[in-house]
Amino acid sequence: MKGNGFKVGSIVAFLALTLYYLWPTVQHTLEQNYIEDLPEAERAEYVEENTQRLQELRQNSLSLGLDLQGGMHVTLEVGTAQFMKELAGDNLDEELEEVIDEAKQRALDNDTDFLQEMITLFEERNPDGRLSRYYRSDTENITRRSTNEEILTYLEQQRTSAVDRAMEIIRTRVDRYGVTEPAIFKQGNNRVVVELPGVSNKQRIRDLLKGTARLEFRLVGQPDQINNAQERVINYFDQQASADTSGVSQQGQSNPLLEVLNPRGRSGYTFGYSTGQDTARVNELLQRKEVQELMPRNIELMWGASPFTQTQQGQDLFELIAVRSEVELTGDVISEASVNFDQATNQPRVSMNMNAEGARRWARITGANIGKPIAIVLDGYVYSYPNVETKISNGRSSISGLESVQEAEDLVNILLSGALPAPLEIIEERTVGATLGEESIQAGFYSTLIGLIIVAFFMMVYYRTGGAIADLALILNIIFILGILAAFKATLTLPGIAGIVLTIGMAVDANVLIFDRIREEQRTGKTLRASIEGGYSNAMSAIMDANITTFFVGIILYSFGVGPIKGFAVTLMAGIVASLFSAIVITRVIVDYLTQDKSAEISFG
Amino acid sequence: MRWFETPDFNFLKGHKIAYYVSGILLLASLVGILTKGLQYGIDFKGGKEFVLQFEQPVDVIDIRSELTEPLGGTPVVKLYGSPEEVLIRTDNPQDISEVQRLITNTMSEVYSDNPATVIKTDIVGARFAEDLKRGAINAIIFALIVIFIYILIRFKNWTYSAGAVAALFHDVLIVVGVFTFLADIVPFSLQIDQAIIAAFLTIVGYSLNDTVVVFDRIRENSLLYKTMDHDEMVNKSLNDTLSRTVITSVTTFFVVTILFIFGGEVLKGFSFALMLGVIIGTYSSLFVASSTVVEIQRYKEEKA
Repeated sequence: MKGNGFKVGSIVAFLALTLYYLWPTVQHTLEQNYIEDLPEAERAEYVEENTQRLQELRQNSLSLGLDLQGGMHVTLEVGTAQFMKELAGDNLDEELEEVIDEAKQRALDNDTDFLQEMITLFEERNPDGRLSRYYRSDTENITRRSTNEEILTYLEQQRTSAVDRAMEIIRTRVDRYGVTEPAIFKQGNNRVVVELPGVSNKQRIRDLLKGTARLEFRLVGQPDQINNAQERVINYFDQQASADTSGVSQQGQSNPLLEVLNPRGRSGYTFGYSTGQDTARVNELLQRKEVQELMPRNIELMWGASPFTQTQQGQDLFELIAVRSEVELTGDVISEASVNFDQATNQPRVSMNMNAEGARRWARITGANIGKPIAIVLDGYVYSYPNVETKISNGRSSISGLESVQEAEDLVNILLSGALPAPLEIIEERTVGATLGEESIQAGFYSTLIGLIIVAFFMMVYYRTGGAIADLALILNIIFILGILAAFKATLTLPGIAGIVLTIGMAVDANVLIFDRIREEQRTGKTLRASIEGGYSNAMSAIMDANITTFFVGIILYSFGVGPIKGFAVTLMAGIVASLFSAIVITRVIVDYLTQDKSAEISFG
Repeated sequence: MRWFETPDFNFLKGHKIAYYVSGILLLASLVGILTKGLQYGIDFKGGKEFVLQFEQPVDVIDIRSELTEPLGGTPVVKLYGSPEEVLIRTDNPQDISEVQRLITNTMSEVYSDNPATVIKTDIVGARFAEDLKRGAINAIIFALIVIFIYILIRFKNWTYSAGAVAALFHDVLIVVGVFTFLADIVPFSLQIDQAIIAAFLTIVGYSLNDTVVVFDRIRENSLLYKTMDHDEMVNKSLNDTLSRTVITSVTTFFVVTILFIFGGEVLKGFSFALMLGVIIGTYSSLFVASSTVVEIQRYKEEKA
């Protein structure tokens, strides 16, 4: 054992560290099992008493990825283009709108930064133009004389802060919703990733994350104005229909709009109604440029948030309401919100209180519009448009037309969390049910176990004593990998487990290289100890080369991959480090120990 | 136990056959990829996937036809590991929640006595898919460059780098080819998604591992036997390391096969790629990488 003191020391240190990092995981698992076995009555109490300790344990244990414990992973993108339009406020004109839309497309096509594209495009179109026409800020010192460079910097700042604010708001919403241990982080310059373990109600979460919570009070259009516009639009589609038949004029060729929209409405303020599944088609038709030009400039069409009735076949019907483009009052004046019930209909509704400034304006708006409806719009959907009966001076209003108490609660949540600075879009979503996660854990566990047994058996048969030593190293190897993962606070995912299984197969490679080399040395007639010495030292360069290249692959996978793939990369890299250590250091110490006596015999098969 | 104790194969003779084998495989893969196109999964194409678990076994064809009308297009419907679980893939552009509602409502109407729960969803937007695809392509290109440079530094000879990278191209291309051909035949999903890209890169790492060990031995032998003919040296090195190459391939093949059998449906495509990769990677280390080196070396000598 001479000269191996350092090696033995490092093995002990490595093992001790591993156990230290894995200890909370072991304890946590034991605790969980203990809690599950407790009778129902004592369970809550026990958890209550030990909350602090349990939480610490959980935070320090090896965490499982969403694909193993079940949950929801969502990537949201902040709509920068929309945000830039809104930032321009009243200065927004067609020129800028076109630039923004085109820049958005360009940034998509060339995978470039939207803001850079926007500036470049603007300067292409207006060589001497100044963006200061559109963007001003007293606080940031952006004035009429600011250069485009300065404005770009300012817009970049604004974008960053919008994403940060969005993150904060999402965090508040998620906390109010009550998710244990959510993870919310930024990705790139305009994306937010939200990971919610153990969440099952996908629908609710989607609405919760996406809703910008832009509450608006708007007036509605004039009935005769709406009627005229409607006639023009229907005529347009009539002409389209007869033109569509490509020369073969048919009587009664159906009007594409009237196929999906019934032009009669419940009141003079509606443009028509459709079934839920037709709304997308209606939007598509009405968004045509030619149709947009037939609509009055001061009117926008918006769908009702909930169905106003059902057909006999049980299909939901939604109204298309014509509201005025100007926003009279926005949700930022709301100071309080709560859920209660409408006494007359017993439907849930959200009651709101406004701050002093809001109450004053609300009184003016309602006073000026007695007998007319005011639409309550949230994120582009009309929740209701009740008639104003009297001037409201106490700053109270309410949102009805909600489908359930749950919806009302979520609405209060997002109203109180604040409005998002820019619209968010879900661009990726992955959810895994808890049972599927459990199945994956089992599958992973069995694969690891069976893989280990088969490889271990094979090594023993092929390399005899040497194989047994390599097997011992292999088992330690798996423990090391878990230890490294726990130490780096990495998450164990299913691909990660696959990485461990793969490592089992590849980890013996270093030993195979060494043992084969030892056999070669023995064939040249060297003594056992000299062969061992030669085997270890000669195999070194091949082992290093083979592993360093694989390690590179791990690094590349880690930098480019997302989510579970990162997990695979981490275990791959941890596996390489662990298997190098166990194959080179651990087996060497054992082999040396067994061959202390000059006459000792150990077999390498 | 000993396999290949002192093998004396003439690998260079085998190279002739290997040229034909590799040539045919590569050509077939290319033809397959060009005619059928790469079978991208939703990661790289965008789309919506739902896995539903029913209480009793269901009929896929039946579900497909029932969903065609509500989804406004024929969805892909496949069994997902068991006769009670189905994977439904659709590119219906509507809102996620809306699409999910369409599916679950239709199912509960049609199979009122066989309730289903959604156990897994994967939704990827078209633009996000573009980003993922770009990332994957970058990863592969980057990996090849890094490997080329590393081998260049280690072996101080670009011939070896070229041999290694040629072998890697060969391996990945053939695996992709097999995937393209088998996509509609096997009962599990062979679409190219992020996990498959990870598998490709692992194959790259694995195949390289084999190749490097052979190269390492060539380098060592060229110092020991200075007078030996280059071709003979390569052949000797292949024989010297053959035992190790086979053993490691065997143990690795064991574990990936186990993953394929026991690792669950999620890992099917991934482990299948690795199974193919181990076989092709081993073959290419023995025949493709070394023969490329021999050929380039010969060409260099002729020119010199």
